[in-house]
This record gives sequence, structure tokens and C-alpha cells, in this order.
Amino acid sequence: MKTNGLRRKLMIGFGVFGALAVIKVIEYFVGTRVKTGGWPYLLVLAFAGAVPILYYFMHINDLGKTKDRDDG
Amino acid sequence: MASQASEAPNRLAINRLGIWLFFLSESFLFGALLTTRYYLQGVSRPADLNQPLGFVISFILILSSLTAYRAESAVAHGAQALFRRNILYTIILGTLFIAGVGLEWSEGFRFFPPSHGFGTIFFTLTGFHAFHVLTGILALIVLILPGQRGRFTPENHWGAEAIIKYWHFVDVVWVFIFPTLYLVS
Repeated sequence: MKTNGLRRKLMIGFGVFGALAVIKVIEYFVGTRVKTGGWPYLLVLAFAGAVPILYYFMHINDLGKTKDRDDG
Repeated sequence: MASQASEAPNRLAINRLGIWLFFLSESFLFGALLTTRYYLQGVSRPADLNQPLGFVISFILILSSLTAYRAESAVAHGAQALFRRNILYTIILGTLFIAGVGLEWSEGFRFFPPSHGFGTIFFTLTGFHAFHVLTGILALIVLILPGQRGRFTPENHWGAEAIIKYWHFVDVVWVFIFPTLYLVS
């Protein structure tokens, strides 16, 4: 049985996945269409992809907390 | 008794710090390998590189991160069946990723073998990463049996949390490897 807290978490997961998928598509487009000078954009896109994983999936903000995160 | 009561939350914080320090040390390893790519080859890459395949396996790995996240969310809320199902999905997707890397390697051996400058970097980076994916898969498999026995509870599921965090770390590493090997030019 899914509680409201779990439902919210699962929706966040889909949202992050959607954002990552879009970033990947843009990254692929930049990498295959831009012949030269595309690497700064790729670097930005790589970090743009890494940050949501670090924050939403890996919960880096929980570092140092002595209680488990409040899931509501 | 009071010291035992305070020990459990602190133990979780210490465990989390420990695994993040592990991730930091692994980041140095992959950072060195990524830097070596640019030192040895600059931004050049072979024309024979299978970019569509690289994109597909990247997508598979991102999808596996979603299923791993769903598994962790499920176990944190006591949804055991959802936890087990998503662990299984993650294992399947991880295995598909490894198969994709295998396919890349079969093409790579033909067009840019390890004796080739780019080949050295390609096989080293993807090989190290694939090894981490493989150990992640094995660790996820280890979660299945305790998961079936209800070993992980919302109050105590550190084992599952740690292994799933490791899986996400492997995904984060690939987020940087994919453009470095396949897209930069």
C-alpha cells in the first residue's frame, strides 16, 4: 500500500528521471552536431545531470544528519 | 541505556559519512582516468565510435538509477514487494548495461584496439567503470534474500541504502564518462 509520502517520493523519482533524460538528449545533440567548441556545454550538461542524482537520489544533504530524513 | 539510545542515530550519520568518503576516494580514481583522456588524446576521438550505442546504454543506466531510487523509497516506507521488484529491475538494467559495454568492446577491439592511443583510454575507463557496475550488481543480488525475509525495515535499512547509494555513484561517474569518451570533439 502506497502512503502519500511514498507516492510523493516516487513522483520525485519520475521527475528527476525525466530531467536526466532531457539532459542526455541535449547532450547527445550537442556532442553529435557541434563539431568544435562544444565541450564547455557538455561539461555544464554533465554537472547538470550529476547534481540531481547527488541531491535527490543519493541524498547528499543527509550527510551529517543524525536522524533519518523526514519523508512526511 | 541512554548511551545505547543515542548510539543508533549517530551510527547512521557515521555510516553515511563513511560511504561518502569512499565515494570521494573513488572519485579521485575516475578523475585521474578522465584527466588522462584529455592529456593523452586531447579532444580527438575516432570516427568509428558507436555514439548511438553509447547513448542507449547511458539511458539504460539512468533508468536503473530510477528503479534503485524507487527501491530505496519503498524500503524506507515499508513497501517490501515494491522494494524487491525494483531491486530486480535495477539488476536487469545493470546487466543490460554490461551487455552494451561488451558490444562496445567488440567494436572497439576492431577499430581502436588497446594498443591505439584512444583505445587505451577507452578500455581502461569503460573497464574500470564496468567492474564497478558488476560489483554493484552482485551487491544488489545480495539484497534480494534479506529483502525477502523482511530484514530491511523503515527504521533500519542501512544495508539497502548503502548499496543503492553505490549504484547511484556508478551512474554519476558514467554521466562524466559518456561525454568524455563519446561526445567531446
